[in-house]
Amino acid sequence: MKGAGKSGASARPRFAFAVAPLLLLGVLAALPAFGLGPNTVRLLFVTLVWVTVSIAWNILGGFGGQVSFGFAVFYGLGAYAAALSVNSGVNSMLSLLLAASVAVLASMLVGLPTFRLRGPYFAIATIGVSEAVRVVMTNVSMTGGASGYRILETRPFHQLEHFYAALALAVVAVAVSMQVRRSKFGLALIAIREDEEAASDLGVNPFRTKLLAHALAAALTGAAGGVYAQYAAFIHPQGVFAFGIGVAILLMPIIGGIGTIWGPVIGGVVYGLIHEELIASFPQLHLLIYGSLLILIVLFEPAGIVGLLDRSFRVFARGWRVSGSHP
Amino acid sequence: MAPILSIDRVTKYFAGLTALNEVSFDLQPGGITGLIGPNGAGKTTLLSILAGSIQPTSGTVVFQDRNLTGAKSFARAQAGIVRTHQVPRPFRALSVLENVEVGVRFGRRQGSAGHPRDARRILEWVGITHLADAPSVTLSVGDQKRLELARALATRPSLLLCDEVCSGLTEPETASVLRLLRKIQEAGTTILYVEHNLKAIMSVSHHVIVMNYGQKLAEGSPEAVQSDPAVIAAYIGRTACA
Amino acid sequence: MSAVDLLNLLIAALLQAGVYAAMSVGMTIIYGVMKIVNLAHAGFLMLGAYFVYELYARFHIDPLLGVLLAFPAFFLIGMSVHWVLVRRIPTSDQPTLTSLLLLFGLWLVLQNLGYLIWGNSDRAILTPRTLDVLQIGPISFPTVRLVVFGAALASLGGLEFVLHKTWFGRAVRALMQNSDAGRIVGVNVERTARVAFGVGIAFAGAAGGLLAMIYSFSPDFGGPFLLRSFVIIVLGGLESFAGVAVGSVILAVVETFCILVLPANYQPAIAFSLLVLALIVLPEGVAGLWNKRRRWA
Repeated sequence: MKGAGKSGASARPRFAFAVAPLLLLGVLAALPAFGLGPNTVRLLFVTLVWVTVSIAWNILGGFGGQVSFGFAVFYGLGAYAAALSVNSGVNSMLSLLLAASVAVLASMLVGLPTFRLRGPYFAIATIGVSEAVRVVMTNVSMTGGASGYRILETRPFHQLEHFYAALALAVVAVAVSMQVRRSKFGLALIAIREDEEAASDLGVNPFRTKLLAHALAAALTGAAGGVYAQYAAFIHPQGVFAFGIGVAILLMPIIGGIGTIWGPVIGGVVYGLIHEELIASFPQLHLLIYGSLLILIVLFEPAGIVGLLDRSFRVFARGWRVSGSHP
Repeated sequence: MAPILSIDRVTKYFAGLTALNEVSFDLQPGGITGLIGPNGAGKTTLLSILAGSIQPTSGTVVFQDRNLTGAKSFARAQAGIVRTHQVPRPFRALSVLENVEVGVRFGRRQGSAGHPRDARRILEWVGITHLADAPSVTLSVGDQKRLELARALATRPSLLLCDEVCSGLTEPETASVLRLLRKIQEAGTTILYVEHNLKAIMSVSHHVIVMNYGQKLAEGSPEAVQSDPAVIAAYIGRTACA
Repeated sequence: MSAVDLLNLLIAALLQAGVYAAMSVGMTIIYGVMKIVNLAHAGFLMLGAYFVYELYARFHIDPLLGVLLAFPAFFLIGMSVHWVLVRRIPTSDQPTLTSLLLLFGLWLVLQNLGYLIWGNSDRAILTPRTLDVLQIGPISFPTVRLVVFGAALASLGGLEFVLHKTWFGRAVRALMQNSDAGRIVGVNVERTARVAFGVGIAFAGAAGGLLAMIYSFSPDFGGPFLLRSFVIIVLGGLESFAGVAVGSVILAVVETFCILVLPANYQPAIAFSLLVLALIVLPEGVAGLWNKRRRWA
């Protein structure tokens, strides 16, 4: 699946596209000034974590075209790595680095066997990986098994601290995503996505490129898991390794606009804000809604929300030009 | 002069079918060698093996004194062998220029002096500069074939494997592509060219190899090969009367 | 461990293989004809389980009869799903991510439907047969497993008959080998695909009913079986029905004997490991090995 191209957009929306994210960042950074309640801050925190993971998945799945159902593995392992290290006295920043490193290692172990497989077979193999890891983590007693693992409270809880950590990570993720897209590495990923064999014929090493993208995506995802673990202070396999997490991670960029820079951000925001609402108001319906969304997107707008916006801007721009030509 | 490419008893089985049966030949550097044969002769299979898209069941491929048997296609591109595809395979989400960029960035760093080095120059060379920013999917067949060549050229190959570059083209388009092949060859790239269009291949090749039923049937200059009775029989299906 | 225990385990594995084969055949047909990996297979397994359960719980219809009824019911459901959704996605020689995501979305929807209608508590089908055991010498056969095995074999036999003796079956086999050639010879690809999809779902539903006779189930029941079905068809070679039989036996035997060394909790990991192994070591499955043998002959 490919994302919407930016060709054809007029200068006006381009400018808006550049300014809007910076404005948003400014607003978020100045958050304490708004005096929002802890629940709202929590909502924003969770959304930022989702945005990071969404961007991360998109590097491999959107740019590279390798759809993985198994990113919960990196999220969960990152969460556990951070939690375990914090409990051993490691400071929070270092524990996030540790979380990212563990995730990278895991991505190598997963990627080495599975990247030999083409597209859909790779996707299905990742379903298996996800399930296998969840089963194992549920049964390993060192990390508390099914009953979960708790971070010991050694310092008072400052919600804003965690919020800023999530915000910083999200900004890093966006920056990484932009850099990848512009780089030679990004070009290789897109070539692989479009036609892996033709890319290889021209000198691109698909296996190595995919492994690298996987590692990068895993690092971001693992760090996000770590950020979450430090906030929640209690994690359990059914929560962080759930198949539902893997599904959500993949759903967000697809809804927002797979293969673009801002699509995953939009998808993360939509999912983050709406998911909580959905769970609260229609707890029985969220799978139905996500499933239907997926079906509708696949059938009618594979480029997701970004695609929809792109189309409406074109209609809008056309209307603008037409009306401007009338005296 | 040392051959640029040397293949020795290359054999390929597909389930139940022998596509290539102990094919051997040497390719001298610097010219255009045509590879012809009736349908099913194994020409494209051989080309795919040389490019690294598939691996032979047995036999060796030696390129510039390096044994490349078993090497993947990207390793070969790095070594200086690159192919074009019979049915053009542009990177659909990328523009024409970006397609060529892939070749430029991931191909060899050092190539023949005669070749242009950057993407726009390559497009100029090949004659599609006016399409640089067009989405690659919108190109006509003829232009897509040129894009294939441009992309391959961008990797600065010593040996270019062309797979039916003229199929589906009109007469003038064919002549134009053949001129381009000559230009590429004169700039320093050896070309091995698989083609069905006999007139095209005979007009542009210095040397011709004929295959049939997975085996090399004949080899020589275009004139020699055209009058070879075995070649005639293979194409027409009866032994030539004396 | 004694020879009798070993024999018991082996027989248990074979009985299990029968059910696994019936469960996987539906996926094979759909993959073979349309090159689509049907992730919603899990959802239809689950619906099949509940279908047979409801027939039993409300109308006291014997589960075996329920399974028989599931065939036509799910055949119609399958054809409708194809008509509404599946025919709108482009097909190709390779499974596409579009089809994967579409059917995955469908699976989510079906799961939710299950939760809405039946809640998330476990159900089971308990008949007098469930606890019955047949003793032949030192070997004990749980009756229900024998019955399920028999039903599975019968349905596979029916499929063999359809594939080899009916026009539709021939069309399916032609399309599985080469859809373009099939089109040229006059096979109506879309209609055959629709019927094939219907048959595939029919088998999923019926197999779900069979599984419900052995296991308890809830709306997310399909997942582990989906993975197993995929392992089986990959082991067997993706498009070969004989391969499904072989793959089922391999998986069932490995799972059964792994219980001896691994705690039962790790079972899903077994299926996964086999899957990865199969995809890497035997990309064409056991059928591929068989084909290669023929080449040298």
